[in-house]
Amino acid sequence: MRFWRIVLYGLMALVAAGFIFPVVLMFLTSFKPEAEVLNPASAFPKNWTVQNYTNVLAWAEEAPFSRWLLNSVFTSSTVTLLVLGFSSMAAYAITRLNVPGGRTFLSVVIASMMVPGQLFLVPVYFILSRLHWLDTPAALIVPATAGGFGVFMLSQFMRAVPVAIEEAALMDGCSSAGVFLNVTVPLCAPALATLGIFTFIGSWNDYVSPLVYMDSVRNYTLPVGIALYQASYYTEYGRTLATSALATTPLLLMFLIFQRQIVESMASTGLKD
Amino acid sequence: MNYHTRRRLTGFVFLAPYFLSFCCFLLLPILVAAGLAFMRFDLTAKNSIQLVGVQNFRELMKDSYFAQALLATCRYAILMVPSLIISAFAIALGLNSMSRGRDLMRALIYLPGMFTIAVTAILWQWFYNLEFGLFNFLLKHLGSAPVSWLSDKRLAMPSIVVMALWWTAGGASVVLLTALQQIPRMYIEAAALDGANAGQLFWRITLPLLRPVLFFVVVTNTIGAFQMFPQASLLTQGGPLLSTRGVVQYMYETAFNNYRLGYAASISWALTLVIVVFISAQFFAFRRIAD
Amino acid sequence: MNARSSIGLLGLTCLVLGLVRADVFSLATAKKPKVEISFWNGFTGPDGRVMLEMIRDFNKENPDVEISMQRIAWALYYNKVMVSGLDGRGPELFVVHASALTRMHRAGIVADDDDIFQGPSGIPQSDFDPYVLEQTMFGGHHSAVPLDIHPQGMFCNSDMLKNVGIVNSDGTARVPVNRTEFIAAARGMMKLSTSLDAKFGFALTAWQNNFMSLLPQFDGHYLDANGRADLNNPGNVAALTFLGSLRNGMHLIPPPDNQMGWVGYRQQKVGMVFEGVYMLGDLLRLKDMHYVGAPIPTIGNHPGTLADSHCLCIRSGIDLKKREAAQRFIRFLSANSIRWAAAGQVPARRSVRALDAFKKMQVQSAFAKQIPFMKYPPRITTLFELGLEVQLAVEKVIRGTAQPKEALDIANTNAQRAMDRDAEQSAGSKR
Repeated sequence: MRFWRIVLYGLMALVAAGFIFPVVLMFLTSFKPEAEVLNPASAFPKNWTVQNYTNVLAWAEEAPFSRWLLNSVFTSSTVTLLVLGFSSMAAYAITRLNVPGGRTFLSVVIASMMVPGQLFLVPVYFILSRLHWLDTPAALIVPATAGGFGVFMLSQFMRAVPVAIEEAALMDGCSSAGVFLNVTVPLCAPALATLGIFTFIGSWNDYVSPLVYMDSVRNYTLPVGIALYQASYYTEYGRTLATSALATTPLLLMFLIFQRQIVESMASTGLKD
Repeated sequence: MNYHTRRRLTGFVFLAPYFLSFCCFLLLPILVAAGLAFMRFDLTAKNSIQLVGVQNFRELMKDSYFAQALLATCRYAILMVPSLIISAFAIALGLNSMSRGRDLMRALIYLPGMFTIAVTAILWQWFYNLEFGLFNFLLKHLGSAPVSWLSDKRLAMPSIVVMALWWTAGGASVVLLTALQQIPRMYIEAAALDGANAGQLFWRITLPLLRPVLFFVVVTNTIGAFQMFPQASLLTQGGPLLSTRGVVQYMYETAFNNYRLGYAASISWALTLVIVVFISAQFFAFRRIAD
Repeated sequence: MNARSSIGLLGLTCLVLGLVRADVFSLATAKKPKVEISFWNGFTGPDGRVMLEMIRDFNKENPDVEISMQRIAWALYYNKVMVSGLDGRGPELFVVHASALTRMHRAGIVADDDDIFQGPSGIPQSDFDPYVLEQTMFGGHHSAVPLDIHPQGMFCNSDMLKNVGIVNSDGTARVPVNRTEFIAAARGMMKLSTSLDAKFGFALTAWQNNFMSLLPQFDGHYLDANGRADLNNPGNVAALTFLGSLRNGMHLIPPPDNQMGWVGYRQQKVGMVFEGVYMLGDLLRLKDMHYVGAPIPTIGNHPGTLADSHCLCIRSGIDLKKREAAQRFIRFLSANSIRWAAAGQVPARRSVRALDAFKKMQVQSAFAKQIPFMKYPPRITTLFELGLEVQLAVEKVIRGTAQPKEALDIANTNAQRAMDRDAEQSAGSKR
């Protein structure tokens, strides 16, 4: 029994190392001079250097990292805020206010979740161009609020929450909007946190929409920015890895702080493409 | 205005923002995509919109590049989904039987899922590099010849799948782990009391109880796998000889390099049909197993 | 922290970031009214930095104009210029390869630019090679100003040549000029391999360009006299046969691996490559590499190579003030193209090529010797499709999965189909 326990822990440690090793290697190698990148004698740099980072950051006109970072944070936060707002309001209207046709609408929304995302690329592009929204933040933000997952998830959650407290508040003369803000939203906090994290990471890592909907380098988000930057410096791996490390750090910090919440929210929403 | 009318009105107001967004960016695009599929529309030739009936679909049947892209996508999905499910399940079972350090392990395994595909691809391109990549470095020092991971026709797709596994297996295993933890202990204990061994426990208790979650993981990952695009386009650019160019990449190139929006829409619909067929097959397969 | 305050905080974050994004905080500093020109190109490498310096100087000399440059990797660039141009949001001034101009021109986003060649301050037409200028003309009208010419040529690692004794009488590396010398050099440098580190005398870079560089040497072409695709003509087959034999008959080049030809050359593992003159920028950053530029050796019946030009285009429909400013900038770039040449380009203007400063640029002036023999890609709207077909044909032959003739037959059929479809599609359209 004890023997198997050791084998299990050993195996799992190996698996975890396999997952984490590439990340560690990326950070270590980004501090190596070019010659050491190409002839890796050891995982650790012999001569530590920040040359790769200064190469990237010195030419802000070429690769405006801070701007890409700003765009990414802005887009992801706004998408998250709007998804939380729209979805919770819609779920409230359907489950609590019993808006006519709400049930039917919810089943249409659930059915729409089955439609593969690739189908939307061309028509949404077409609609955005008619609205003259291409190359504006709206192109990344507004279409991202249309997904049905949030409404579906929050409706399920609200149905499981007893209505008694909300009814008591209504009796006390609170308006529907007041009940929503002061009672329902706090009650749904765990579900909202899950949905928020899920939405934020999904938006942050979105690669295809900014690639297609954005024209100006100033308006790129981090994933597209670094992918294109890398394409023009593919001969210099040290620099490329430094770029990747820079792009990864914000999310990595977030992960270190909110590790438990992030993993658990992913487990309960469960998807990723 | 009485109470009910007011409540009803409030309901509409609450529903309105999402409803609008849903209509404009979910329903309308589906309609536009449906319309475009029957049109010929070149962005760069003005007034070129023409209704052409099913001509796009007829062209699609004869298009050898589409057939090739569909083959690549199917190869990816068929390699990816089973290996993902098996590895994620194995990891989840391993994590579940750990009593200490489970949360740390879970976080480490999940971590690659936080990366954007661009960074993931940059990292793996480096590992797979013929001249100074990590894998060939190790191979050379073990005394064997370097391998062209990304430009050998047989190896390119499996190499992409290995990268995708690193990227997504953590997410899937975390989902399965949560489901495993929710299995009431008394089922297992009761079965163990009845003298069931580990294998029987797994096949008779654990697996059937996990069926709904497993179905969910299989379906979502199948849908995801069929839409494979940046994984290959960033790692191999679709090569060698277009053998890793999937349907979505072909659709993207048709729409945004050759500006043929109508034909691109019909490619999208064809892929959607293929996905529906696969998902239905899975649905019936899971039902059969249940009976 | 409860749910409401978290959401409130998130909202505040969005608001603040949105304001920062929209530059609200920098509005306070009032600026003098300037004509703002946005200038797009694909110079994402070191050449872009040279361009940036030229722009800074122009902006200093012309206080009433503000040029701002945006660089997008070529792979995505054309899509972005095209769709933003069609949408009316595009840049006022942009760079287009001569070969890509046909499609841009048909889409109606490129303005005619005849007047820049006229008048006392106009750019003299006689300063350009007629063949180059022809590439930018439609129906007798100029639609762009060629800034440079970038022929494909040969980069040689002089140390590697010397190490295997391929030297001139004065001890400098001897660059191969014909088929026999080229093959001897390619084979010779393979001897530098060690058990852990393979070396090659020659490697392919971009397959499509490598093939198209040899094609004029074998009297090949892309279109027949009637403008129909003719990719499987005997000249093209001969050029492709030679390229294929490097791998499959003579085993002189490494197994096909995307783009690794150039990376290998850069790491001194490959002795010779065919590449565009613009790749010089990548070499200028290396400190311990000795190299020499040369024309592509005469492998076929006579010298020849592939070339293209970066052309400066003005978007159609912009107002006169902007147009004048954009033209002033074009004249500035054209007149100062010796600076641009230093980034790894051959200037389009003969007078600039005649300067001593240019003659001292070894690689650039060696590549420029090919100007009389160079051939541009065909001027068709479906160049992207044709290019992909050529690329696939070359790849098949290098990998040994098809014979040159059969690969080019397929490429030709597919390219013609795309051309037919495009012709049919645009027949109903009016500009």
